[in-house]
Amino acid sequence: MSAGHEDSGFVARRFVVAEFATPEALLAGTRKVREGGYKDVDTHTPIPIHGLEAALGLGRPKIPAIVLCGAIAGICIAYSMIYFCNVIDFPINIGNRPMHSPPANIPITFELAVLLAGGSSFFGFFTLAGLPKPYHPIFESEQFGRAAIDAFFLSVELPVGANADKALGDVRAAGATSAELVYESER
Amino acid sequence: MAAPNLSHDPLEPLPLIEGTHTDQTINDSLLSHVLRGAGKGWWMLFGCALSMLGLLVIAISWTLYKGIGAWGNNIPVGWAFGIINFVWWIGIGHAGTLISAILLLFQQKWRTSINRFAEAMTLFAVICALLFPLLHTGRPWFAAYWLMPYPSVQRIWPQFKSPLTWDVFAVSTYFTISLLFWFLGLVPDLAALRESTKSKTKRFIYGLFAMGWRGSGRHWAEYKWAYLLLAGLSTPLVLSVHTIVSFDFATSVIPGWHTTIFPPYFVAGAVFSGFAMVMTWMIPARHFLGLKHVVTMKHLENMNKIMLVTGMLVGYGYLMEHFIAWYSGNPYEMGQFFLTRWHGPMRWIFRTMMFCNVVVPQMFWSKRLRTSIPVMWVAAILINIGMWCERFNIVVTSLHRDFLPSSWKDYSPTWVDLSLFIGTIGLFSTLFLLFLKFVPAVAVTEVKELRHELAEHDAVAGETHA
Repeated sequence: MSAGHEDSGFVARRFVVAEFATPEALLAGTRKVREGGYKDVDTHTPIPIHGLEAALGLGRPKIPAIVLCGAIAGICIAYSMIYFCNVIDFPINIGNRPMHSPPANIPITFELAVLLAGGSSFFGFFTLAGLPKPYHPIFESEQFGRAAIDAFFLSVELPVGANADKALGDVRAAGATSAELVYESER
Repeated sequence: MAAPNLSHDPLEPLPLIEGTHTDQTINDSLLSHVLRGAGKGWWMLFGCALSMLGLLVIAISWTLYKGIGAWGNNIPVGWAFGIINFVWWIGIGHAGTLISAILLLFQQKWRTSINRFAEAMTLFAVICALLFPLLHTGRPWFAAYWLMPYPSVQRIWPQFKSPLTWDVFAVSTYFTISLLFWFLGLVPDLAALRESTKSKTKRFIYGLFAMGWRGSGRHWAEYKWAYLLLAGLSTPLVLSVHTIVSFDFATSVIPGWHTTIFPPYFVAGAVFSGFAMVMTWMIPARHFLGLKHVVTMKHLENMNKIMLVTGMLVGYGYLMEHFIAWYSGNPYEMGQFFLTRWHGPMRWIFRTMMFCNVVVPQMFWSKRLRTSIPVMWVAAILINIGMWCERFNIVVTSLHRDFLPSSWKDYSPTWVDLSLFIGTIGLFSTLFLLFLKFVPAVAVTEVKELRHELAEHDAVAGETHA
C-alpha cells in the first residue's frame, strides 16, 4: 500500500491508530497527544468514558438544542393543524360547542411534540455523527475491531506532509501500548 | 428448582453481575446465543408460534372477507375482544418503556440487564395491539380519512375532540419513539456483533445495521444526550399513552366507565401486566440463553417487588371504583359494581381478576416466595390472566348491563375472536423468538459500562476500608 497515487490524483488519508491499556490511560494519553499539537484526534471505545469530552476538547453537545427545536415544531404543527381543520377549513357547529376548544387539543399537541422531539434526537444524532458511514479508513487496522469489544483506541489523522514516524513516537510516548499507521484505501 | 436465597446476609446487597468478568467474557457470553445456531428447543417453540400465527392469518382473512359481523360483539356490547386485547397488549408494552426510560432517569443500575429484552417486548406488543383497532374499523383502507388528517377530496377531517383520534396519535407516536429508542441503544451492540462474528454474511448484515459505528468519542458525546433525551421523552409518553387509552372509556357515561380514577389506574395496571409478561419470558430465556450471570436473582426480586407495588395500586383502583359508585348514590353505578360485577353472569371473570391481581401478588411480601423461580413464574402467568380479565370486566361487563334492562344482552365470543386473540400471541411469540435469535437479548454495551462502574466503586470502597 502506498501513500498516494500520482496518476489518479488520489491522496490517501493517513491515521495513526494506537491502543491504550485502560480507559484512564486513554484519557491521559488523549490529553498529552492534543497538547502535542495534533488537531484531528479521536477516541474509539466500546463504552462511553466519563471525561472524554473534556479530554478531546469538545464543546457543548448540540443534541439538546436540536431536540428542543423539534419539540417546539411539534407543538406548533399540531396545534395549528387542529385549529386549521376545526376553525378555518371545515367548521361544524355541534350543539353550539366552541370551534376552538383548547383542552381537547392538548393530547395530540403533546404527542406530536414528543414525536418530533424524539425523531430529531434520533436523526439529529445520526446527522451530527455522519452515520451511516460503512467505510472509514480506520477500519483498515487489523486490531481496530476490538474497539467495539474490549479495547480502547486513539486515532490521529495526520495532515498532508506530516512526519508519520514522529507521530507514532509521540503517541507511544503518551502511553500507547501499540501504535500503527493506516492508509485510506482507494476505491 | 432454585433454593430460596436465605443463606445470604440480608444487609449485603445481591450482586448485579455474578462472577468475575472482563469486557471480553461479557461480550462473548452475551453474544453467544446470537452467534451459535438455533437449537432444537428454539425450532420447536418457533414451530408452535408459527402455527398460531397461521391461525391469525386465517382469522384476519375471514374478518376482512365477512366483516366484523364475524365477531361476537353486537349492541349493547359494541366493544369486546377487539378492545380488550388492544388494551391488554398496549399495557404489556408499558413495562419495556418503564424499565428502559423511567429506571434510567432514576439511575437504577439493575435495569441494564433487562432493558433491551423489555423494549423488544414493547415493540412486539404494540404491533399486536395495533392490529385490533385497525381490524375493528372493518375496512381499514376506508378508515384512513377519519384516523389521520390528510387532505382528501371529501374535505373531511378527523374528529380532534374524540379520544379515539387521540389514541391514533398516541399509539403511533409510542410505537415510533419506542422503535427509535430501541434501535439507538442497539447500535453499539450491533457493532460488537459485527466484530465478534466469524461468518462473512453475518458480518456484512450486522455491519449494515451498525451504521459504521466506530465508538468515536465525538459520537459518544452526542449519543449519550440523544439516548438520555429519548428516555426523558418516553417517560411522559408512556404515561400519556395509557391515560389516553383510558379516556376512550372515562369520557363516556356508561356505568363502570365513567370514572376519574381511570388514567392512573390504567397506567398502574399496564406496568403490572407488563412486568408479568417480562417475567413470563425472562425466566425461561435467562436459563436457555445462558444469561443467569447478568439477570440475577436480584433482578427477578426487584421485578417482583414492582409487581407487588403496582398490584396494590391496581387493587386500590378497584376499591376506589366501588367506593365512588357507592358515594355517588347513583343506582346504575351501584348496580354495576355491587351486583353485576360480583354476582352477574360474568362474575367468574371478575372473581378471577380479583384473585389474580389482588391476592396473588400479596405472596411477594415473603422473601422465600419472591425468590422462588417456579412461584414467580406461575404468579406472572396468573397476573397476565388476571389483567386480561380486568379488561374484559371493564369492556364487556360494563356494556352488557347498562341502564335499561330491556337493552341488556349477554355476550360470547366467536371462533374468530378467539383465533385472533390466540393468533396475536403467536405473532408476539414469533417476533420475540426471532429477536432472541438475531439480536443480543441483553444490552451488551451497557453491561460493560456497568461492569466498569461497579469495578471503580469496589476499588473506591476497598480503599476506604483499608
